[in-house]
Amino acid sequence: MKKLIALSVLLVFAMSGILAQTKSKQIKGIIKDESGVVLPHATILLSGTKTGVQSDSLGNFTIRIPDDSKSHTLIISYVGYTAQQVSTGNTDLVIKLQRSAKDLAGDEVVVIGYQSVRRKDLLASVSSIGAKDLKDVPINSAAEALNGRLAGVTATTAEGSPDAQINIRVRGGMSITGDNSPLYIVDGVQVENALSVLSPQNIQSIDVLKDAAATAIYGARGGNGVIIITTKSGKPGKLVVAYNGFIGVKNLSKTLAVLSPYDYVMYQSERSRGNSVDSTNFLTNFGSTWDTLANYKNTNPVNWQDNVLGLTGVTTSHNLSLSGGTKKNVYNFGYTYNDDKAIVMNSSYKRHILNFRDEYQISSKIKLGVGARYTHQDVYGAGISSDQGTAYSRLRNAVQYRPFLSANELIDQNDPLADPNPGNGLGLVNPIKLANAEYRKHSTDAFSANANITYLITKNFTFKSTFGYDRKSIIDRKFSDTITPYSIITGGAKPILELDTTIADTYTNSNVFSYSLKGFKHKHDFDFLVGEESYDLRTTNSVSLFKNIPSFTSPEAAISNTSLGTYFTGYPQLNKTRYTSLSFFSRLNYSYLGKYLFSFNVRSDGASKFAPGKQWGYFPAASFAWRIKNEKFMDNVNFINDLKLRVGIGSVGNNRINDYLYLTTFKNDGSYYYGLNNQAVMAYYSSGLVNSDLKWESTINRNIGLDISLFRSRVDLTVDLYNNSSKDLLLNVPIASTYGYSTQLQNIGKSSNKGVEIQLNSTIIRNKNFSWSANFNISFNKNTIDQLGTNQQYFYPAASWGVSGQPTDYIEKIGSPVGSMYGLVTDGFYKVSDFDYNNGIYTLKSGVVTDNAIIGTVQPGSIKFKDLNGDGSVDLNNDRKIIGNPTPKFTGGISQQFTYKHWDMSLFFNFSYGNDVYNANKIQFTNGYINNSNQLAIMQNHWKVVTPSGATAQWINSSNQVVGISPDQLTALNANANIWMPIKSTGAFYPSSWAIEDGSFLRLNNMSIGYSFPIKKLAGLKMSKLRVYLTGNNLAILTRYSGYDPEVSVSTSPLTPGLDYSAYPKSRSFVFGVNATF
Amino acid sequence: MNTKYFNKITTLIILFSFLLLGSCKKFLNQQPITAVGTDVVFSDVASARAALVGVYSRLVGDQGFGIRLSLYYTVDNDEMQGPTGASDADRRDIARYAATSTNAQLTNPFNQLFTGIEYANICIYNIPKMGLYTNGTPQQIAQLKRMYGEALTLRAQFYSEAIVNWGDLPSHFLPASVQATSNPFPRRVGTDTLYNQLLDDLKVAENLVPWCDSITAIGDVLDERITKGAVKGLRARIALFRGGYSLRGRPTATMQRNADYLTYYQIARDECNDIINSGKHTLNPSFKSLWRDQVCAHAVTDPQNELMFQASATGFSGVEDTKLGYYDGPAVTNGSTSYGNKSLNILPSYFYLFDSTDLRRDVTIAPYNLVVSGSLLTKTGQAITALNDGKYRRDWSTPAIAIASYGTQYLGYKWQILRYSDVLLMFAEAENQINGPTAAAYNAINQVRRRGYGLPIATPNATVDLSGLSNSDFFTAIVKERSLELGGEGVRKFDLIRWNLLATTITNTKATLLAMSNLTAPYNTLPVKMYYKNASTADDVTLWSNSFYKPAPSSTPTGTTSVVWFGSAINTTALSRFATGFTTGKSELLPIPQPTIDANVNFPQNPGY
Repeated sequence: MKKLIALSVLLVFAMSGILAQTKSKQIKGIIKDESGVVLPHATILLSGTKTGVQSDSLGNFTIRIPDDSKSHTLIISYVGYTAQQVSTGNTDLVIKLQRSAKDLAGDEVVVIGYQSVRRKDLLASVSSIGAKDLKDVPINSAAEALNGRLAGVTATTAEGSPDAQINIRVRGGMSITGDNSPLYIVDGVQVENALSVLSPQNIQSIDVLKDAAATAIYGARGGNGVIIITTKSGKPGKLVVAYNGFIGVKNLSKTLAVLSPYDYVMYQSERSRGNSVDSTNFLTNFGSTWDTLANYKNTNPVNWQDNVLGLTGVTTSHNLSLSGGTKKNVYNFGYTYNDDKAIVMNSSYKRHILNFRDEYQISSKIKLGVGARYTHQDVYGAGISSDQGTAYSRLRNAVQYRPFLSANELIDQNDPLADPNPGNGLGLVNPIKLANAEYRKHSTDAFSANANITYLITKNFTFKSTFGYDRKSIIDRKFSDTITPYSIITGGAKPILELDTTIADTYTNSNVFSYSLKGFKHKHDFDFLVGEESYDLRTTNSVSLFKNIPSFTSPEAAISNTSLGTYFTGYPQLNKTRYTSLSFFSRLNYSYLGKYLFSFNVRSDGASKFAPGKQWGYFPAASFAWRIKNEKFMDNVNFINDLKLRVGIGSVGNNRINDYLYLTTFKNDGSYYYGLNNQAVMAYYSSGLVNSDLKWESTINRNIGLDISLFRSRVDLTVDLYNNSSKDLLLNVPIASTYGYSTQLQNIGKSSNKGVEIQLNSTIIRNKNFSWSANFNISFNKNTIDQLGTNQQYFYPAASWGVSGQPTDYIEKIGSPVGSMYGLVTDGFYKVSDFDYNNGIYTLKSGVVTDNAIIGTVQPGSIKFKDLNGDGSVDLNNDRKIIGNPTPKFTGGISQQFTYKHWDMSLFFNFSYGNDVYNANKIQFTNGYINNSNQLAIMQNHWKVVTPSGATAQWINSSNQVVGISPDQLTALNANANIWMPIKSTGAFYPSSWAIEDGSFLRLNNMSIGYSFPIKKLAGLKMSKLRVYLTGNNLAILTRYSGYDPEVSVSTSPLTPGLDYSAYPKSRSFVFGVNATF
Repeated sequence: MNTKYFNKITTLIILFSFLLLGSCKKFLNQQPITAVGTDVVFSDVASARAALVGVYSRLVGDQGFGIRLSLYYTVDNDEMQGPTGASDADRRDIARYAATSTNAQLTNPFNQLFTGIEYANICIYNIPKMGLYTNGTPQQIAQLKRMYGEALTLRAQFYSEAIVNWGDLPSHFLPASVQATSNPFPRRVGTDTLYNQLLDDLKVAENLVPWCDSITAIGDVLDERITKGAVKGLRARIALFRGGYSLRGRPTATMQRNADYLTYYQIARDECNDIINSGKHTLNPSFKSLWRDQVCAHAVTDPQNELMFQASATGFSGVEDTKLGYYDGPAVTNGSTSYGNKSLNILPSYFYLFDSTDLRRDVTIAPYNLVVSGSLLTKTGQAITALNDGKYRRDWSTPAIAIASYGTQYLGYKWQILRYSDVLLMFAEAENQINGPTAAAYNAINQVRRRGYGLPIATPNATVDLSGLSNSDFFTAIVKERSLELGGEGVRKFDLIRWNLLATTITNTKATLLAMSNLTAPYNTLPVKMYYKNASTADDVTLWSNSFYKPAPSSTPTGTTSVVWFGSAINTTALSRFATGFTTGKSELLPIPQPTIDANVNFPQNPGY
């Protein structure tokens, strides 16, 4: 392999030469339609050459042509218009294009894997987004721009942090437990998670391949869709300098209402009744006489959410690009700087991206392309979420911390009243203090270089070789000072420092021969492609964890001098892996009279993840398209410009599992050790039960689609139906745990995704001064688990939040979608009438369902759950069921773009309907598990156990009996109660249907207004384009969801989607920006 | 296509094919880099030893003897009970015999025991196959033999721990990689069959593992690893389980023992006799020193070799350390912050089981919590229902725990699986069962008693020595003496089960607690309050200003603070939660964790659950 790379590199350099530049002159022009409306992005090609440019958004173009005596011809083309040839006699051209009856749609080019095709010849389901759409969304990640724009593609941001993972799913994802991320190809080279290392301003187009007709050429890696990104390249002509910049402000779009200081103190008083320790503490903390408690009505509340996660954020972005070139050499150089101060305290983000791309026509036969990219990114701040469990959740401090300050208490002082030793380490820490005590810096350096060489062997026969090298280095620094729960629980209240380093090197190479024969005997078109690809990924991961760092050491000092601390036992840990794959693929396209189009793909993939003998997988696909419009009988149907039916079937795979799983492996990474003479001795341990039969996950992908273009391409409609069934899914199947391992990875699951996608693009109005276009897309997807392990009907993924003893809150069950929410069914609360009253004691009437197994002693006002099996008592074994479905019935988006003279405006809505969100925050923020914690305002009218005069109305005595005032009095006291009394036992954290909320929403995601200065006025400024704009992001949302935002899913596991627990809240932003071209 | 192009293409294709296919197989054959295969691990002594360390490591951690096996599963018994608070589908329910199969604290300990068995199986399967096992130097062979024997012993330890908690279990005496594919859903096998295998294994191990004083001779270092005494002691213990009562038979089970039980008492007697006669192990002269200066001091050397088998903790995390002394034992308060769970409470009846002159009471029981006052830790006496167990107490730790580190939940205390005094008492019990109360039986139990009263171990003492008992009275004395000597060491519940005394003991204990609560005779002359001296640092009886055995003074002595002693609190705080869910014929075993049943169709639940 190394030999091959070395040889090829030599080859590339040998073939590169020095190119002599010829003299040239510049031609300017403007392109309009017959009614005088300018046509942006029309293609202008110098006849007989490869020199070409595009008109800008105002129809203007400049092109360099040879400055010689000869006459030259420009070919102007635009989708939906008849191409026109213009001679270059004048240097200032006004070109009017005529609409064409035929070929209105479909001349735009789509990249579908090792080759480009015209959209009209497409046999596959492909969604695309271009620079034009990206421009309207001044954001830092192109992934966000995908959200809601494309049918069948969802881009969900897990939470609102500046570097939040954006989960892109194409048609729902096939795997049950595996990674469902699509494959990213940037300029022909595979790049993991590419959208996070690219600047949106640098992207020319994003094509999303959805069905096997297109993805099968990517074989084992194409199972979850393929996202092909083409970055901007230069155009021949003089140097063009473009600047795009914006500055914006952000704020928290919503805060959760909490109890006022008075209500808070009143509840703490209630909570302490019946427990001598709590009562004594209450008196010490909040006042010894009942009457003085009314003073808390005058206490100024402290809104911790505003203080910690409701700051005003400022985001700035500068993007500079230089592009240009000659007939033979075009280049593009870009630099992007983002600085984002987030709304959460101490949270910020800085990124630099440098990118370079050059295409060089070495000779008439050889073309060389090189590209390089460097990204440096720093993310500061611990944010809000935590994957370490509830004790480490930060949001709870911002919501539940005492909502006022005592006399002489500073806002960043620790609460002297906080419960010092609560259950499960859930002590509350001043959120401001905590944010300052948890230092985080996450740095990424990514460098990638790629080169490709195209050799035109004959007129129809080309060879292309592509090389890519990518290095990503991530350093994560986490410093937890003395007051943090982490330090207290495991570090003896001394600072803890964690340093993680991950380095991933990727080498890729592909070699493709393609042969194309068009118009053979005027009837047949052939395209044939055969290729080979290799991929080599080497990762090194090391983790160092230090304790006993002296108190008052600054994070920077600890990081630069780790010898201040000592290693935790078992550290440093080092893990290295290498994964290689080798693939061969071929595609044959055949078209007869442009009416009947056939395509066959096949790919074979070999991967080092599997045992010899199981390494190779084969992935064939076939598709057929019928351009009905080209049939005779359609000739007179004038309102239809194009009509095409597509049918495709194919097989794709997924191999996203860890390396070496088929081998018996022992690890000695410090995870297991034993103390001998008080020294830790590291152990070799068997890390799992090996399955030497592991193989690919595979999916049969079936798609039928219809493309219609109507009314001179004013309306384009694409409808796709698909039915994807996956098998051999890799599941960590629970095995007989007496074998010493609780699970084993097996190829045993089956799942299916069925759906419909509709994409409608239309130009509603287009005249001289005004245009209005609208795009609408909607996707319906139904995901079902069809099979699990042998004899397995369901399994429960591990809970990701809560306290010890927390029941699981999700279920994976045959016949249900992946990640169904599972729990108790809430049934209001117990009334006085549910109890008998004798001698001051309330006892549950016989026949009334009890849930004492869940919450402890049941009393009037206790939360009530449904007894599903009818045995008279509620318990976890028999009375839980599926209570929520995380998958929406449909999702989609509507975008509208308007132009009026020099003004442009866009509006973009996206929506989701029918999915549930598991609002775990609500469960935690309404319970009374720990002392002195505040609650959401929805608990204000909870069941009261204290009379207005301060007497205890109801309590549990030491014999676990419910003692209380008379039923009449108790009923009267709680006449207005609309919710149960906060739960104090660990049952307070159990998942129930009350926390499952409708996550449907309609969001005004983005609104933008821009003004482009007239080109004449810019001449003096040596500018060819100047546009200023104002954009609002996340402006409004229509939803019934009570949490911060319904678009949330904090768990990294695909098994537990739609969980809202301590998510970094989303912000609303207003951005002012400039696009300038010089 | 003309020849020129054809040649070019052919050359390119051949070139690539040659380069690629030539290295194709090699390119896709990637071997682990930082992880290794079985062949590497079992190629040399050091790596094999690291694999054995992996087996040992499964003894400790939160899911092992770190907290669950040692402190959750061993109560309630007639010595102590679990924490206060409402039913929690967690540790409280386990203590009260109210656990169900979905209890949160069953699955992981169950799985960790079987991970231990699997790791041991890997060593047992591979070590004897190593080239060095037969062809190595004499020292290598001796070390590998010892390791083989240790792996057998550890497997027996994990298995017997699982059996006493869960009853019949599948038989796993080969690595999973050998067995799992052919038998994915193994069935439960009778307890006796499993015990027989373990006894056979330990017989083999005895001849492989040297005595503690011969360890250095084979080039090993003397440390917490198993020596021959531990192998034999464990064999005796398992023989007593095999020969004792348990919940045998399913689905309807009763407490029964087999007719051949004496065979196993004989094994226990002989093994203990071997240990005693070897002279390799003796008692530490001071019971308090053993715990304070040895165990809580994290001492490495053990001059008497009394600590025969320890689950050795380190690392300050839930993986390989223990929460002994944090979950249980006295808590410490610093200002408004308190550390420690004080989750095990000594029963008043157990406190009064000790003779007033028995020095073991103030070691086994720590009737106080701690307060940081300046550089000192002073004691606050606790009510009779809030007494802590005391063998693993944080105020005895050496090195002393720094105030800043009080939040640390891991103190590095080693759980004592087997002590020499247990061997002496097992000998006395088995000898009495077979030969009656012989002089040897008396000698064994009286050594333990003399040490408990602070007397010279080898010198007969008429006051504390037992003598002249009938066979059954001697047994009754053993039942009591094991509680006095081994209280809080996790053996009581399982002793009572093998004697079939758990149900009656729980009933009797409840009656005693009720009588104490009601101040019924003989508890009517005992103090209703106790007064502890303010700001005292005493860790023994001198903390108190009045006697545990006489009525309380009518007024508070100066410089003291009172705590509640005999009275109704014993009912409302202690008795009201004591073993509330106990049902004989069911509660002698824990429920099989639900995930285990879900994953194995052939795994029926235990009786009554």
